[in-house]
Amino acid sequence: MRIVIAEDSAVVRAGLVEILADRGHEVLAAVGDGASLLAAVEAHRPDVAVVDVRMPPGYTDEGLRAAIAIRRAHPGTGVLVFSQYIETRYAADLLGAAPGGGAAGVGYLLKDRVADVGEFVEALARVATGGTALDPEVVTQLIGASRRAIGLAALTARERDVLALMAEGRSNGAIAGILVVSERSVEKHVANIFAKLDLAPSDADNRRVLAVLRYLGPA
Amino acid sequence: MQVPEGDVPAQESLLVRILIKRFLYRHPKAWGSAYLVAGGVHVFLGLILSAYGFWWGTGLIPIAALELWVAHRLLVAPLPLRVRQLEHSRARAVDDAAEMLRRIERDLHDGAQAQLLAVAMKLALAREKLAAAIGGTGPADLQRVFELVAAAHDGATVAITELRDLARGIHPPALDQGLGPALTTLAARSQVPVDLAVDVPERPSAAIETIAYFCAAELLTNVAKHSAARHAALEAVHTGGLLRIQVSDDGNGGARLDGHGGLSGLLDRVGTVDGKLRISSPPGGPTSVAVELPSRA
Repeated sequence: MRIVIAEDSAVVRAGLVEILADRGHEVLAAVGDGASLLAAVEAHRPDVAVVDVRMPPGYTDEGLRAAIAIRRAHPGTGVLVFSQYIETRYAADLLGAAPGGGAAGVGYLLKDRVADVGEFVEALARVATGGTALDPEVVTQLIGASRRAIGLAALTARERDVLALMAEGRSNGAIAGILVVSERSVEKHVANIFAKLDLAPSDADNRRVLAVLRYLGPA
Repeated sequence: MQVPEGDVPAQESLLVRILIKRFLYRHPKAWGSAYLVAGGVHVFLGLILSAYGFWWGTGLIPIAALELWVAHRLLVAPLPLRVRQLEHSRARAVDDAAEMLRRIERDLHDGAQAQLLAVAMKLALAREKLAAAIGGTGPADLQRVFELVAAAHDGATVAITELRDLARGIHPPALDQGLGPALTTLAARSQVPVDLAVDVPERPSAAIETIAYFCAAELLTNVAKHSAARHAALEAVHTGGLLRIQVSDDGNGGARLDGHGGLSGLLDRVGTVDGKLRISSPPGGPTSVAVELPSRA
């Protein structure tokens, strides 16, 4: 992957460069603020940008705003945003940023997830190739806060597990791997979920994510 | 009654101002009692005079009314003023506390949290490499694993130091032993040599000690950062219900309250307990900043 990193903490930035370089990925630029990020994306046209939400000068949501700008200007560039705390609103802002809204090439993870290098790089690869990666905590919050509790109650425990993984952006194959079941039975669960929640079935992973999020979301 | 900016006009009578202001200034808690006693006397006189007024003719009634008016001025009129001052200082205390929490959160986020995240990343890499080497699926690059573990160890050590410094910034452990030991430690850590004189025979309340300590810390930091001084002096004297902290230096002066800097922060903090801040810092120096705090908050 060709990657641009924006993270204001020098030690975390160096750590990210190290783990990505170690896996043979190409880090084109590693910067410390939103404006430099936009310039770097403009100059290098990377596959994916890794963006910390809180950066100078205001240390609020500069990174998120830069990420949204990248989504608008370069829909082909994946954006993986990470932050110290999960804000469900940030996820909604990101997903709504692309023209027409979409979950393709978007990721939003808790910053601590980079400590699990394997999972992090996998999520990054998913986002770089037009997939989706949402933090399990975002999904848990969405499910917990969902006003569609009655619809969700109709799901079996296993179906709820599948729904949560689906909302994180995992493919059927990945879900089968995590739950240690066959891909065939995951497909069956997914079909049941879509039927019970009255959602239009979809093959593309990110459209599926979007459908699930729309269902769970406050709208 | 001494909000340091003097943004609330004083309303006490000329007599009170001349005779007892100086005393009351040094003993803030005496304000209430003095007003109460004086007010009580005037109420008493007013009532006696009006009672005699009915016997001796109405000539005394205006004097009685005047007495009651004076009593009102002493007992009731100062209250709204004091309430406003307390509202001011409470708002500043709340802002101060919120600002401190924000600063702690930022320090944790930028410091120990970031360090530990980097440590975890390095250990994750080292672990993967070891797992691959043990499982026979990758090269046994022990040198690289060693470097990763060594870097992680360094990072953890830095994080420990940062956490310790942060904890000390929230509450310095030396302060538990009293202001003397705490200020000794503080002076010893200063980059500019500090002459220390502590005369605190009786301990002020814990809140006052904490404010005094952080004032001294801030002032010494200012000396090191801004004054280009070669020498500083730190004096703490506790006498007659008043704790006085004074920091002076032989630097280039020019320190002033400009509404944003560290000195304004000090003024706010000192104001929450009715303390005072005095600055003498002509261009070219020397600089002397004195903080006066009541013994108890």
